[in-house]
Amino acid sequence: MSELKQHDVSLTVNGKAETISVAPRASLADALRDTLGLTGTHIGCEHGVCGACTVLLDGKPVRSCLLFAVQAEGAVITTIEGIGDAQSPHPLQRAFNECHGLHCGFCTPGMIVTLSAFLKEHPQPTSDDVREAISGNLCMCTGYQNIVRSALRAAELIEGAKS
Amino acid sequence: MKPAPFQYVAALSVEDAIALLSKYGSDAKLIAGGQSLVPMMNFRLARPEWLIDINRISGLAGIAQKNGALRIGSLTRYSELEASEAVQRSVPLLGLMLPHIAHKAIRNRGTIGGSICHADPAAEMPVAMLALDATFELRGPTGTRRIAADDFFIGQMTTGIEAEEILIAIEIPEIKNSEKHGFSEFARRRGDFALASAAAVLRFNGERISDHVRIAVGGLSERAERARAAEALLAGKAPTAALIEEAAKAAAAEVKAGSDLHATEAYRRSLIATQVKQALAVAVDHTSSTGAKK
Amino acid sequence: MSVKTTVSDTGPWVGQPLPRREDARLTAGAGTFTDDIRMPGMLHAAFLRSPHAHARIVRINADKARALKGVHAVITGEDVERLTKPISTIIPFKMFLPNYCLAVDKARYVGEPVAAIAAVDRATAEDAAELIEVEYEPLPAVVDPWEAIEQPPSFVFDEIKSNVIWHDTFSYGEVDDAFSRAAHVVSDRFSVQRYISTALETMGVIGKWDSSGLTLWSADQRPGFATHALTTALQIPHSQIRLVSPYIGGGFGNKRKATYMVIVALLAREADRPVKYLEDRQENLLGLVHASNQVMDLEMALDADGKILGLKLRDVVDEGSNVINPTLHSMLKFTNMLNNYTIPAVRFEGYAVLTNKCHSGANRGIGKPFMCFVIERAVEMAAKKVGIDSLELRRRNFIPASAMPYESPMGNVYDSGDFLATLDTALKTANYDDLLKQQEEARRAGRYFGIGIATAVEPNSLNLSAYTLMTGRTDTSGVGEGALVRMEGDGSVRVSLGNTASGQGYETVVAQIVADELGIHPHRVTVAPGFDSAVNPWLHCSGSFANKFSGTDVGAIIEAARTIRAKILRIAAHLTGRKAEELTIREAAIWVHGANEPLLPLAKVAMTAYRDLLRLPEGEMPGLEARHFYVDPQSNLPAMSKDDKRLRFQLTFSNSAHIAVTEVNPDTGAVKIHRYIIAHDCGREINPMLVEGMVHGATTHGIGGALYEDLIYDENGQMLAGSFMDYLKPTALDVPEFEVVALETPSPFTPLGAKGVGEGGSIPSLAAITNSVEDALKPLGVTLTELPLTPNKIWDAIQKARAEGKDT
Repeated sequence: MSELKQHDVSLTVNGKAETISVAPRASLADALRDTLGLTGTHIGCEHGVCGACTVLLDGKPVRSCLLFAVQAEGAVITTIEGIGDAQSPHPLQRAFNECHGLHCGFCTPGMIVTLSAFLKEHPQPTSDDVREAISGNLCMCTGYQNIVRSALRAAELIEGAKS
Repeated sequence: MKPAPFQYVAALSVEDAIALLSKYGSDAKLIAGGQSLVPMMNFRLARPEWLIDINRISGLAGIAQKNGALRIGSLTRYSELEASEAVQRSVPLLGLMLPHIAHKAIRNRGTIGGSICHADPAAEMPVAMLALDATFELRGPTGTRRIAADDFFIGQMTTGIEAEEILIAIEIPEIKNSEKHGFSEFARRRGDFALASAAAVLRFNGERISDHVRIAVGGLSERAERARAAEALLAGKAPTAALIEEAAKAAAAEVKAGSDLHATEAYRRSLIATQVKQALAVAVDHTSSTGAKK
Repeated sequence: MSVKTTVSDTGPWVGQPLPRREDARLTAGAGTFTDDIRMPGMLHAAFLRSPHAHARIVRINADKARALKGVHAVITGEDVERLTKPISTIIPFKMFLPNYCLAVDKARYVGEPVAAIAAVDRATAEDAAELIEVEYEPLPAVVDPWEAIEQPPSFVFDEIKSNVIWHDTFSYGEVDDAFSRAAHVVSDRFSVQRYISTALETMGVIGKWDSSGLTLWSADQRPGFATHALTTALQIPHSQIRLVSPYIGGGFGNKRKATYMVIVALLAREADRPVKYLEDRQENLLGLVHASNQVMDLEMALDADGKILGLKLRDVVDEGSNVINPTLHSMLKFTNMLNNYTIPAVRFEGYAVLTNKCHSGANRGIGKPFMCFVIERAVEMAAKKVGIDSLELRRRNFIPASAMPYESPMGNVYDSGDFLATLDTALKTANYDDLLKQQEEARRAGRYFGIGIATAVEPNSLNLSAYTLMTGRTDTSGVGEGALVRMEGDGSVRVSLGNTASGQGYETVVAQIVADELGIHPHRVTVAPGFDSAVNPWLHCSGSFANKFSGTDVGAIIEAARTIRAKILRIAAHLTGRKAEELTIREAAIWVHGANEPLLPLAKVAMTAYRDLLRLPEGEMPGLEARHFYVDPQSNLPAMSKDDKRLRFQLTFSNSAHIAVTEVNPDTGAVKIHRYIIAHDCGREINPMLVEGMVHGATTHGIGGALYEDLIYDENGQMLAGSFMDYLKPTALDVPEFEVVALETPSPFTPLGAKGVGEGGSIPSLAAITNSVEDALKPLGVTLTELPLTPNKIWDAIQKARAEGKDT
């Protein structure tokens, strides 16, 4: 095996310009977690099925386990840490708490990231819309029902904040 | 579950990509959306020594209407196709099919060209390409050539593309006034690969189906294929329920079908009959929906 | 039905749907899971796993792996045999079968770890794993459990020249007499596949050595077992092992893996650096643990009126390579043979069989879902045979509420519950009569529309004296848990438990319980989010299992809190010149009973306890800290007589009724769940919002087991479902909106009247779905006895029924 070249990658993560040095085979998920210390992006399957590692790439949800970090040159990435925190929670984060949309919390960052983009495009979704939107995110704890409720509640909170 | 080591290089133009392919030969692999390739690399089932990233090539993505056809750049992502009015209007089959491909986050990244070149037998895109008489524009060191979808899909993840070639664009004839499309798929869960899928393109002469009949099926064996006996049955006839039933049975009898973890051969053949029937029903009756997956 | 849905701002706090304290961190991605922990110099481990189901390991050459740049340590079976003792057993059998953390002489299942590497990163460790050369001599694989018994192609453990690790018969009441008197006997063979909960966080361990010994960070849910296994395997004092559980991303019984801990400890010692190992999903599916596949031959005897007289079960459990805790599923099946019926005579003949598959183990409900599946299928079959409605048959056989507490033939004492009321509540919620009309219309229209009902008890806690009955060994008994409550000088409280949280919301519900006991607001109670064996109180059985929280753990919490409360009142009495009996605590103050004004702030008493040491009552120890180890008073020892195998195996019993409304597409065999109604009773609900969440989640596990999930092996012992593309979990589109109604019959046996709810939904759901699908296909005369109900299997059953002309 020849010595592998490290690549310098410049990207914007949660609004902050970053330059990181990564091996070609480092996934974006690993780079976010290991290089940038953003451990809110969870890794659940590494083959694109579970959705725990979902981040926004230029505003759209993608699997960070299926993207090599080196490919993210120039990209604008949003992780759960960029969505909101305990001090200033996103309406989705508030709604997940209000409606008990999580148990163990491992799928939650991926769910919230996915739904944050979805609610922008669908501000008044039905529960069927929400189920379709999160059908690529697995949750092993909740049976999804309270996640759906949380998403609908977040839509209300966002709508309420506008008026 | 980490990929075997590889070197990464981003191609900045088509010429660049072809030069890199020529240089590294079979040690290299192009990456577009990567939604099929990267899982295989993570499992170390695919282990290219060089990964040539074509995502930075400008002009490879995009949808244009030209001479009665839609020209879709190979790097166009599924979500862009879904959002395109031109696609929805001019190639309704793609509109019917796209929601069946995985999930939103995958469709935001996966590309039409990637799916075609990956040629997964259970993927939806090859099925649609066969039914739509798509033509693929390939470019290699010696220039550009065009190949019909019918000649492109050879076997399990094997296509007519040469090692040094890159898929540039897909050309799909726009729907004619007399043409109708249908699609149906059965998968264990929504977004899973198909256990059986069927696409239908029918052109009509008045009340009768013309000679232009395309039925393509996928999810059954090593590659997507046309159900030509079923097509022949339909040509020139009025699409009665009995005829559709007969065509569906013919399709089920003629295609190759295999057994795996999720479906036996007998079950697959039965499924293909139901999916062909449903795809034809959708095509014949434009008012009906795509048909529920289950 | 009395469940509260709004939160008030005063106590009592138990019973309120308080939003969770855990969520602020978890929704922000700020919960610290094992994989989120980083340490300077930390290495990453990867395993080389066996590609063979059964093979002798002739030779291993790891030279190339050791030489790879970035590799710090490589260990193989030879090292392990030299450096460790085998993993100690949890259910101790008389014949000890050595099970090391790596395959030593032979590999016994596809995916068994054969060598381990620690390197600078995981990718390099995986590169090194590929460089290890192993010479295998493949042996015939033992795959089918019945074949393993009758015509074994080989022995999984050569030491016992048999693949049957356990075979026993448990008989209670006059079974033969019951069957000879029976007007009807129904019998059939049922089988359930391997499936597993697949917590979204895979199992992981970090190990680090320093002068005080070994510290491990791991998502382990049974720390008592784990540290005991480590001390015997590594031969170091137990006091030198510290186990810390950070946030656990789902457990469901699966997260216990001493072998991973031993491997990581060895690598960390060899490399002299901290080492992290985290399963990838393929490893998780191949090798963490599987709920065993099981074949059950059931016979049910009934009288002419449909009263169940007796039950016989011949049960074969495929334990895979499990020699640590086999018979877990067997035991929990025979102790639940009654379900919620009065059955005077039962006989269980069980085989625990070794095969070349991943070791079996705990998974949400262990054995109980499968027992319920068999009983509730048999009830449907029996009703047909007797010629009465299956609802009526259930009603005739339910243990009546008036008989509570009810002692079952095997010695379980059902504490409380009104099974009839639960069923009727479910029927009412479902609008059952309308459903029947809908079904009639659907059938007229040629649709296959089914209504399936299943009722169940959900046992809570597990008396580990049961191991004595299974193995004859007498070193484990009872069940208990530890809790530590400490009020600080400002009157705020911290609590830690021997149990490990993995999503249950303990930070919230424990605060609710303690707040009520100590007269403070739950926000003043901080519950340690994880577990630390150097700090938390714990017992050998400590951890998350068997639905034991609501009874057993709550006992420990309340006893510790009450010890503090009594001490506070004694100190307050001393400070104010009152008698302790005159005083009470509420709203963070000391009050004289019935007074309008508080006597003094709670913080004043608390501060006195910590700093005003000479003004404490004479003989009173300073501080307000209590550590309580609780033994569940319902647990008992087996009778001294060898023939008396009665025991209170489980200690309290929640119950539920599920109604699944499904439709089958006869062309594809696909099942659509239209509605899913649940009535359940887990006694007094500590936090109704969390209770309902548990019901949704557990029922979803059952839906997965009934329709989707299958850890399927081929005839060579290759596991075919090693990814989430082939191991199918239900998604949001596959699960219905559950219609849940709660009844609250408080348990007389637990401190708060609360009972378990974590497993409940997973127990009757297999049967409810199967009954529903069979009902949908009633016009075709299909009988369903095998799970999972994949579309292919349903389609096959339809073809078979049609070929046999059962189609009506």
